[in-house]
Parts: sequence; C-alpha cells; structure tokens
Amino acid sequence: MNQFKIDFDKVIESLKLSNENIDSRKKNFNQFLENGFPNKKVEDWKFSDLNQIISSNIKNLRFHSDLVLSKIDKTIFIDKFVHNKIVFLNGAISKIDFSHEDDAKILLTKDLNQNENFKEVNPLVSLNNALNADYIRITVKENYSLSKPLIIYNITTKDLKSTVLNLKTDIILEKNSSLKLINLFDDDSENNFINIVQNFDIAQDAILKNYKIDHKKNSNIKYCFNNINLEKNAISENFIFSTGSKFIKNEINCNLNDEYSSAFINGIINLTDSQHHEIKTNINHLAENTKSYQLIKSVLNDNTKGVYQGKIYVDSKAQKTNGYQLSKALLLSENTEFDGKPELEIYADDVKCSHGATSGNLDEDAIFYLMSRGLSNQQSKELLINGFLLDAVEKITDIEIKDLIKNMIGIIE
Amino acid sequence: MLQIKDLKAKIDNKEILKGLNLEIKPGEVHAIMGPNGSGKSTLSNVLSGKKGYTVSGDVTYLNENLLDLEIEERAHKGIFLAFQYPLEIPGVNTNIFLKTSLNAIKKAKGEKELDAIEFLKLVKQKASELKFDEKILSRQLNVGFSGGEKKKNEILQMSILNPKLSILDETDSGLDIDALKIVSEGVNALRTKQSSFLIITHYQRLLEYIKPDFVHVLINGKIVKSGRSELALELESKGYESLS
Repeated sequence: MNQFKIDFDKVIESLKLSNENIDSRKKNFNQFLENGFPNKKVEDWKFSDLNQIISSNIKNLRFHSDLVLSKIDKTIFIDKFVHNKIVFLNGAISKIDFSHEDDAKILLTKDLNQNENFKEVNPLVSLNNALNADYIRITVKENYSLSKPLIIYNITTKDLKSTVLNLKTDIILEKNSSLKLINLFDDDSENNFINIVQNFDIAQDAILKNYKIDHKKNSNIKYCFNNINLEKNAISENFIFSTGSKFIKNEINCNLNDEYSSAFINGIINLTDSQHHEIKTNINHLAENTKSYQLIKSVLNDNTKGVYQGKIYVDSKAQKTNGYQLSKALLLSENTEFDGKPELEIYADDVKCSHGATSGNLDEDAIFYLMSRGLSNQQSKELLINGFLLDAVEKITDIEIKDLIKNMIGIIE
Repeated sequence: MLQIKDLKAKIDNKEILKGLNLEIKPGEVHAIMGPNGSGKSTLSNVLSGKKGYTVSGDVTYLNENLLDLEIEERAHKGIFLAFQYPLEIPGVNTNIFLKTSLNAIKKAKGEKELDAIEFLKLVKQKASELKFDEKILSRQLNVGFSGGEKKKNEILQMSILNPKLSILDETDSGLDIDALKIVSEGVNALRTKQSSFLIITHYQRLLEYIKPDFVHVLINGKIVKSGRSELALELESKGYESLS
C-alpha cells in the first residue's frame, strides 16, 4: 500500500484540482486504504477473491501511469456501422467524435472538478474516485435521440503493464432522450487492473441501450461498476458480452426510482483456459409498477469459473413489481465451476417475482441426432452451444448491434 | 447392401439383441415388426452408431464393417435414421441445420457444397412435395413442432439427404391418417433400385401405404419369423402372442 500513497500524491500533483475535490479524493483514498482490494470474506466477493486474483497475477502493482500517449490503432474501430466515438487510450481520453449529432443537443465536460463522486459504495469505487485522472460527462438534452450509436473504446496498448487504470464516465439522459451505447474493450496490454465506474441518470421517458463487449482475449483483471438511476417510464436495456479478460466482474446497481420504469439485463459469459468472470446485479424496485428482467447464459470450458449473483430488492412502496431472473450454465469440462446466487428481498405483498437456475452438460441425445445427420462431434457441439447462447443474444433490441455480437460469437444464420 | 450376422447388443449389462440375422439387398424394403421391448429401437440405434451399447457380431454395409464407423461416417456413407422421437434443438434454425447437414455429407463424398440459393431452391421443392409449410423451416429445429410436423421434418431431411439405406423407427406413431399418407408418399417417392429401407413398426397400418418386400418378426431380441408382406396381415389378426 506504500506504492498507493506515493502514486496518490503524484496524481493529486499532476491534476489541477479544487480544494473541495482534493478533500473528497482524500476521503476516498482513506476508504480504500482501510479496506484494500476486496477478498472472499466480503459477502459480495465470496466467489471472486479479487485481492488474491490481483496478487497472484500482477507483480509490483502501480496506481499511476506516466505513459506518453501512443497513436490509436484505427483498425480497432468497428467498421460495420457508422457511430460516434470516445476513445480511452491507456486510461486517457484521446478522441471525442460526435460528428454525427447536433452539437447543441449534447453537452460534454471533462472538468474533473465537476465530477461528483459517489458516496461510499465499495472500496473499488473509492479507489476510482481517489485516482481517476481523466473523465467525461455526457448530457443528452431533452427530446434528443442520437442518430448513431456511441462507442466508448477502452483501448490499452502492450507497453502498459502492472498498472491500475481508473476510468470514469457519467451519462445523463434528459427527459424523452435516448442513447445507444457500446462499451468496447480492446486490450493488447498484460496484467493490469482496470477499474471502470459509470453512472447513468435516465430521466422520465428516456431510453438507454447499454451494451458491454469484452471480446478480445487478454490477461487483464477488470472491475466494471455501473450505477443506473431510472425515473418515470424510463428504460434501461443492458447486455454484457463477457469473454475476453482473464478476470472481469461486471456489477450493475439499478434503481427503479419511479413508476413504470424498467430494466433489462441480459448477458453471456463464454470462457476458456482459466478465465474467471462474474456478473453481479442489484435491482432495486423502489416504486409501483416497475419491471426487471435478467437472462444470463454461461458456457464454461477447460478450467474456467463463472459466477452470477443476482439480487432483486422490492421496497414496501413498490407494489405490482414484476421481477424475473434466469441463469443457465453449460459446464463442458469436469474442471469448471459455476456459482449462482439468486436473491429476492421483498417487502411488498402484491408482486410477481421469480428466479431460476440450471447447469449441466450438453444433451448427448441431441449430439447423436445431429451426428446422425452427418455433422461431426465438434460441429454438433458448436451448433448446440451457439443455440444455447442465441437465446440471450436475441434479447438485444438493436439489430445492428445484435448482428455485431452474433458475428463475434460466430453464430451463422 | 446390408448383412447382419449374429448381432448382439447389451446396454447396462442387459442383453437386448440376442443374435439377430438379416440381409437387405439394394432396392428392397424390409419391415421389422415386434411388440414393445423386443429390441426394435435398439436395432436402429446400433445401426446408426449410438453410443452406450456393447455390440458383438458382424454388420457389413456396402462391403465395410459398419460397426467400425463413427456416427457421422455412417451418415456420410448413406445411412439415415428417421427418429421415433426427433429431438427439439433450441436456438438452432431448421434451415441452417439442414444446410449444414447436407453440406457435411456432400463434403465427405467429395461433392460440391450447395450455396444458400441452391440450397433454398432444393428445400423449397422438397418441402412442397411433402406439403410441408416451409415457414416452419425458419423456426428452431423441432421446437414447438406438432408430432406430425416432427415426423414430416424427418422425411424432409431424408429426401434432401437422399440416403442409400433409410431406417424408419416407428415413423407412423403419432401420425393422423392424412399425415401418414403424405409421409408414406414421401418414402415411396424415394424408392429406387439402389435405395433400401428398413421400416420398424409396431402396427401393420403403415405397411398398407409402404408395401414391404419382406416382413420380419422381432421378439425378445431375435427374428423369429420372416415372410412376404402377407405376414404383416397375419400378425395383425393373430397378434404376436401366437409366435412367442
């Protein structure tokens, strides 16, 4: 933790911060210092001991990077459809492009002093609050729908090693506005800890479609925290495509603050070698007639581990809540592990809430059926696995992005 | 085409087939009839290569030892099993499955694979011959299909893959009379001097529509009687009891 103190001072020195901001960062600094990286004794982390994962994968961890910006490799950009871009390159914002939109309708700020820190959520959010050195807040004005999706590229290059990166984005959707967002990871770096915090405030009648793609195989350790606030009639659709990193925990805290708001969280965990991925959700139904739906499909090969912890909380005010979650896992080798922890905490009496979980291997009879039609064992398995995953992918309502993800998985149609 | 000599098959240490002999020549249609539990489905499973059985005896198919071949190799060499209970495969589009299957077999035979347009043309033609609503083919494989649709889908696969030896395992079960007629016409349309059929059935009903050259009675893992198609009628009136 000595390195943490030294690096913290460096960060504070290098940034032009208000006294107020420095005070707030110091509080967060102390919160992280007291707790450190969460370990399995912390209930939320009992299936993923981050402290142990970091110490066994990263030597001489640094909390600050003085990397000079390199050039963006443009081949990383998605070429299947036109889109707006924000590029984080090794943690620093190196490109902002909203050329497809009406400038007056999108407000951007990078002023760190305007970055309102969260209350104490967990030590990793505190770490991010204390150290994040680059930041962007995007406000979409009332009644404006972006004509093209926004892709936030989180790119790391191979000269980045053993470093903690803290990325932070705030997104505000004003009344009746909408945004399609993709968070895309592209890592050539090795053995870093990447800590991402994103906050979404979604006003009445606004729609957020939020897709996370961690597809490229890499040895980084990641934590991605999304806090989502939904007002009346607002919709948040989330999809997590989790297959690239050595370790990633995607945590979504979603507050359904007002009537008729709804949240959808669907995702795929598809792992090989010794990867370990977790999805953790907290859905808080805090008003009447709110809805949540979650479907997580996991495919585990080799020595991998998948975790899904899904919590649905229903406040006593939140009558007529409709909450649903389902987790299905395919364990394709004896050395895989899947941990599922569904939690329902309900204080209202007129609600519809259900959850389900299954795990198992591929159906041998189905493999026989396909092979008897001339498909090889491998082909049959691939077809069945793709069929298993497709169910979740089909929940994506944006067709371009659905096709992009299908393509990445290798689903043919 | 197919010679079976002294075929025995065990599953979980229970002997199901107890020395079965059968010869099928090119162009012939053989029917195997028998009561429940006589080993009919085991015979079709063993011939198509399903795992889990301990098998002994000789099975020669087109001068090759069939028992040495993998499941998909048997399919590549022209063996087709129409399942008694076709499996529902969620998330797998029926058309994609059919195309993957046809092209896997064509590839193994060293023939040119069909592109999407050629395939759709073929499937359209075959589906209309079977009065099969082709809209169903854009749905997930057998998912939510009625019993009749599942069986028709088996016959559609058979007509697209154009096998040399087709094994029909209780294809008539669960079919109403109209569907039975359509399915039978589909099978009859595939009868040629080169293609053979092994029709496994519990009832004589199907054999009114698909006339077999030979009928065999399978009881307790052995063929106890063989004859011409009249044997089926005799069984229908007297039952299997008289033979056991």
